[in-house]
This record gives sequence, C-alpha cells and structure tokens, in this order.
Amino acid sequence: MNTLKRVAPLLIAIVLLLLLFRICVPNFLHPENLLDLTQQISINAILAFGMTLVILSGGIDLSVGALLALVGTTTVYFLTAGQTALGLCLAVPAGLVVAALFGLGNGVCASRTAMPPFIITLATMLIARGAALRFNEGRPMHVPDTQVLFLALGNGRLFGVIPVPVVVMLLLFAATSLLLHRTRFGQHLYAIGGNREAARFTGIPVARVEMLVYVLCSVLAGAAGMIHASQLYSAEPASGVMFELHAIAAAVVGGTSFTGGRGTMYGTLLGAIIIGILDKGLNQAGVHFSFQYIIKGLVILGAVYIDVRRRK
Amino acid sequence: MNPAPLLQLEDISKSFGGVHALKGVSFYLKAGEIHALLGENGAGKSTLIKVLGGIHIPEVGQILIDGKPAVIRGVGDADECGVRIIHQELSLAPNLSVAENIYLGRESATFGILDRKTMFRQAGELVEQLGLNEIADVRADVSCLCVAHQQLVEIARALSSRARILVLDEPTSSLSDGETEALFETLDRLRSEGVGIIYISHRLEEIIRLADRITVLRDGESVGTQPRGDLGRDQLISWMVGRDISDHFHRPPASSGEVVLEVKGLHSDQVNDVSFDLRKGEVLGFAGLVGAGRSELAKAIFGLEAGVTGKILVEGRRVLIRGPRDALDAGIVLVPEDRKAEGLVMNHSVAFNAALPWVADWIKGIFPDLRKRNSIVDRMIGNFRVRVSDPELPVETLSGGNQQKVLVGRWMEHRPKVIILDEPTRGVDVGAREEIFTLIGRLVQEGMAVMLISSDLEEVLGISHRIAVYKDQSIRRIGDVSEFSAESIMRDLTGSVLGTAESFVRMRH
Repeated sequence: MNTLKRVAPLLIAIVLLLLLFRICVPNFLHPENLLDLTQQISINAILAFGMTLVILSGGIDLSVGALLALVGTTTVYFLTAGQTALGLCLAVPAGLVVAALFGLGNGVCASRTAMPPFIITLATMLIARGAALRFNEGRPMHVPDTQVLFLALGNGRLFGVIPVPVVVMLLLFAATSLLLHRTRFGQHLYAIGGNREAARFTGIPVARVEMLVYVLCSVLAGAAGMIHASQLYSAEPASGVMFELHAIAAAVVGGTSFTGGRGTMYGTLLGAIIIGILDKGLNQAGVHFSFQYIIKGLVILGAVYIDVRRRK
Repeated sequence: MNPAPLLQLEDISKSFGGVHALKGVSFYLKAGEIHALLGENGAGKSTLIKVLGGIHIPEVGQILIDGKPAVIRGVGDADECGVRIIHQELSLAPNLSVAENIYLGRESATFGILDRKTMFRQAGELVEQLGLNEIADVRADVSCLCVAHQQLVEIARALSSRARILVLDEPTSSLSDGETEALFETLDRLRSEGVGIIYISHRLEEIIRLADRITVLRDGESVGTQPRGDLGRDQLISWMVGRDISDHFHRPPASSGEVVLEVKGLHSDQVNDVSFDLRKGEVLGFAGLVGAGRSELAKAIFGLEAGVTGKILVEGRRVLIRGPRDALDAGIVLVPEDRKAEGLVMNHSVAFNAALPWVADWIKGIFPDLRKRNSIVDRMIGNFRVRVSDPELPVETLSGGNQQKVLVGRWMEHRPKVIILDEPTRGVDVGAREEIFTLIGRLVQEGMAVMLISSDLEEVLGISHRIAVYKDQSIRRIGDVSEFSAESIMRDLTGSVLGTAESFVRMRH
C-alpha cells in the first residue's frame, strides 16, 4: 500500500507522457516502437541501478560514463585479439575485472579516506576516460563479425520478440532490488545512508558495505558498457559522456534522496522509464535538440521539487 | 567465597589529543544490581561507557567479565559479551521502521536474505512484552515518531537480545512520567533476572528510586562508590558538588556604575518576555540548564533571531537592532558558544581572524592597508597575551584558551560597552580557564559590562556580581550573588519532583 502510494505519481507521469506523445507521434504506442523504447532505456536503467545504491549510501559516482567507455574498449580489444570463442571467454571477464577494479578504487578511497566521493569519482572519471582513449588512438574499434554471441547481447531478441538488453536489464533489476530490499546488506545500506553514526554504533561494517556499493555500481557500468559496444557494433572510447548525469537524473526522479538513506530500486526503474520516454518522444515529435535539453532539465527540476514537497 | 563480579573495569585511562578523559578509573558491577554513575558533564561517564561498548579503545586498563579478561575492541565484541548500551544521543536510522531499527545489525536472515515477516512478528511481540504500547506499530518509520517514542525504540533494541550488562545513558531525558515508570518496572524485572545495569542520570530522584550502589566520577577520576543506603537528595548533591566552591575564583572587584544595557520585555519564539539591566563594570551571570534558551536570548539581543519584540536601550537610548551590525554599532558584542562553528574561521590565520571584524577599517575600496591591519592584530595579541609565535599561523593550531582570547580580544579594537560571553570556558583546560577569568576581570575593570552565560555553576557563582537564574526561556530569579548558593539555584532549576543536577555539575571537559 505504502509502496503503491509512493510510486503512484511516477506511474501517473508515465501514463500522461505516453498519452501526450501519442497525440504528437501517431504510432508512438505501436508495440514495435515501445519495444524499441525499452531497449533504449536499458543502458541508462542499468547505470541508474548502481547509482541508486551509491546515492543511498550518501555518496555519488561520476565515473560510470567514462567507465562504460573503458569497459567497452577493453572488451572489444580482447574480442578482436581472440576472434573466436576464446576471445569472448577472455573479453567479458576482462571487462568486468576492469570495472570491478575501478569500483574497488572508488570504494577504498570513499570508505577509508576523508576524500569526498564527488572528487574521488571525478578523478577516476578522468582516469577511466584517459585509459579508454589509449585504445586505437581514441578511434572507434569495430567488433569482429565473428563474435556473434557478443553482438547478440546488444541486438538479439529473446524468442524473436524481447530485446536482449531489456532481458539483461530486467534480470539486473531483479537482482539489485532483491539485494537492496531483501538482504541484510540492503538493510545496512539504508542504515548507513540514514544515520552513519547509528550504523557504526550498531556494529554494522560500514566501510565494507560502502566499498561493495562502489564495486557493484562499477560492475553494473561495465555490463552497460558491453551492451553499449554491442549495440553500436563497435567500442567508442569517447562514448558515454554525460551518462552518469542521466543515471543520477533517473535515480533522483525516481525518488532517491540525495542525502542518502531514501530511495527504491523500482522508483529508479520508473525514473529511467520517464527519462527514456521523454528522450524518445521529444525526438520522434521532431522537437529541436536544444529544446529537448531544456525540457528535460525542467522536468527533472519539477519532479524533484514535487518529491521534496511530498516528503515534508 | 564471593564469586567474581559480573563486570570489572580496572584502571581504565583514555585521552583525546592530550586531554585526559579518563584517569585510571576502576569500578565493578555485580549481577542483579543497578549501579548509578553520577558526575558532571565531561566527567568521563560517556567516555567510560564508550570504552565498555568498544567504541573507544582505552590506552591503559583492562575489562574483566566474570573475572576473566575480555577483549573489547569493537562494537561486535561488546555485543558478544552481552553488553547492551543505550547511548545518550539517539542512534537510530530515521529512514527505517521500528522493527528494522530494533534488529539493526542483528537481522535474522538465511544466506543474507532477510526474513522480514519474522522480524516484524518478533518485534511486535517484544514491544508488547516490554509494554511499550506507544511503538506498537513496528512497521512505522522511526522518523514519524516523537523523540520520546524513539527513545523507546532504543530501549526495545537493547532488550531485544539477551543482555547481561545493560547500560543506559540518560534514558529518561525525553520520557514522560508514565513512560519513565514503565521503564523502571522493566529495569526492576531485569535486575531480578540477574542482569547488571549501569544507569547514568542527572535526575537524582531516579537514582534514589533505582540504584543499589552509586559511583561518582569527577574530572575523569572515580571519587568513590557508596551503597545508596540512606543517602538523600541533599547529600547526593553535596557529594557531587564536592570541593569548596569559589575558592579558585577571583571575582573582579565590584565597580558597578550606571546602567549601560536595559532589556525590556524581550520576546520571540525562543525568548519569553525577558527584562533585565546590566551595569558598567559588573558581571551578570546567567545560570541555567543546557537548553533553557540562554544562547537564544543572547542571539536575540545581538540581532541574530527573527521576530523579536521588546526594547533594548544602551546608555539610556533606545537602539533598534535588526542584525549583528546594528548591535556592534550600539557597542554590543557576542562571543558565541561554539568557537568552531560560530566563532573563528579555524583554518585561517590568527591575524585573519583578529582583523576580520574591522575589514572596513583597513581595506578602503580596493586598497588594503596591511600596516593598519598588522597594528590591529599586534594590539590584540599584546593586550591579551595570546601565545602564538607567528600571527600568520592558522588559529586551529592554538590551544582552546588562546583561541578564546583571539575571539574575545578581537572585539576590543573598538571598545564595546557590553560583552556577551556564551559558555566561554567550554572545552578549555584548567589553566586556560583561569586566564579567561583574568580576562573577564580586565574587561570589567575597564568599565565594560559582561553578560556571562555558563552552565558551570561554580563558575557563575565564582565570578558574577549578580546572578539571573534562567529556566524555560525566561528569568526565574535575579539578584545579588550573595543571595544565591549552589543548592538554592539547583532548587530553582529543578523545582519539580524530578530534579536534574545537570547544570550544576557541568564542567570542563
């Protein structure tokens, strides 16, 4: 009941947006168009799941966009080196390890030092971006046509209908919401975000939880990076710019409190859907891209304002 | 032969950055007793408890449980030893539900997956069993509860698993009488079940009602332990107050001249119709409990509070104070309570801080006159004997006493008429305290009027010429210092049946 009450405004917003764009774009609600929409949402949603965990702990991770590019280039580099099944077996773990290492770096710095997460991840964002640009002199790296399985990750369809990225996104949604809402870890995460001292006093391993949060966020960014590279048939070292900001926007529109401790995974999913509908709808309605930015900015401002008011 | 006591603390010492919070404290707790820990704020009670709870690690000393040395190096260790602590400051996660807070850090789970249904059921049963009906809705968010009910959640948490040693630090400070009585019944029951309870409170009636034995801490040392026996309230008070008051205070000679500040019917949300006068060359001490609203009064006079009505007259002329600038222009200066948050820019230099209020004097337009600035700084350092090798050093490198001198001294550039000192000796060591008293003496001799807010009763009685007892946002009694004693102020402040001795005994950290 409580949950329904909290997500009701988001659901209403989604319905209104869909109806609005139905008026502007005649075939907006066509099933194929909607499937396409969900596919476009997946990457931002996956990033936003990780971002939600980090924001809940009271932190922020600005490095996910750059990391997405770095994981893409790393993965494609190994795919090309191996060419066949061996390449795939090497490339995916390599990409995820790179992601996890960055997450570990962020997490160690955030939990064991007094450096603010904003600055830490700003720095690792630059490092990851630089590392990505080391590959192929910063030019896009083509995914070999032989890597059929990898290409299916971004472009395949389960049973010929549901895009694979959406399947992955939904699985990750299930996993992260289970983690957040059903496990001890999730409980500890809420406690840390709500009252750090209280968490410490009750014997919660604050540093460990915090570290894990950053690792998870980075690994999710890594998964998103692979899907992104697969969708584009190539890894682009310069891709993923501003992705972290879209992920933050999705989390915040979905009701995640920036001071930590408040927010839900389904809220974030709905937030990502709202931003995705806006993106696609404005595009298809032929709104000039300059106005798209302005409208999205205003929507985020409005959504957060309403959320803050409701909380009082 | 007596079995070993449940808990023994032996020779515990702990210091923070050179300040000795605990100096070899020893004390023991038997199973099935309520042992009260009494002492002034800053006497080391909370530190002692944090040592027991694994939050602070002592430098010296050992903890024995059942006569065997126990290693308590973290919150988890304490938990395993059966130590449950209800800290003075609430330690709840406001964004979680009652049940989630009760079982925080001890969630029942299989392979990390929470069993929420069981948790809510158990929490419901526990709350019912403890008779804490106010928090019967265990699914409610803690942030929706009032403070008293939040306190109940803390209590439920401490009692949710088998406690052998239960520590309560000021548990009743926000409870109603009924809730307090319910808590006492629970404590009585636990005592009869053999739980050892350490109970900290400033409310002497509670201690008389509950305690089997009483230990008094003072300045980080144990003064002694006595069975409660026939100790009455008055004996407890004198035991706590201890040494002879006002021995080491040198009250500046009274040189009261004409009235310099008149406050008439000052009223706001935080100030309830306050009137008083302050004369040239006198110290008017404001005694009261922490939270009585004395700082708010000071801020209202200094123009920091909104919606203040009433009149303020300086040297007979009405002044309109809309903000600190107006107050300063009228010759009123406030030295705030919290040096770090409200007083000094800690990471900037002594010179920066000393010259800050007088920027208009030494920067004209775009021309800073550094010679003038330095002369302001040098005068301040010289006049107030601030011990600093180089005025360009950050002020945070100075001792608390010297910081306070900078904070007071910097206002002297343009001789104020009235100086309001809010808790000037909080957090400074004994030596610096003496220096601050000397400083106050000088201010008075030079004809300034001092309004001294202090929760240290010794201090107020020791150096004020007149005293105002402040309670619930208004003055209860005002008069010459000779009309007051520690005991009489205590009675004014505690009044009702449940007395608190907090202010009495608040002292140096």
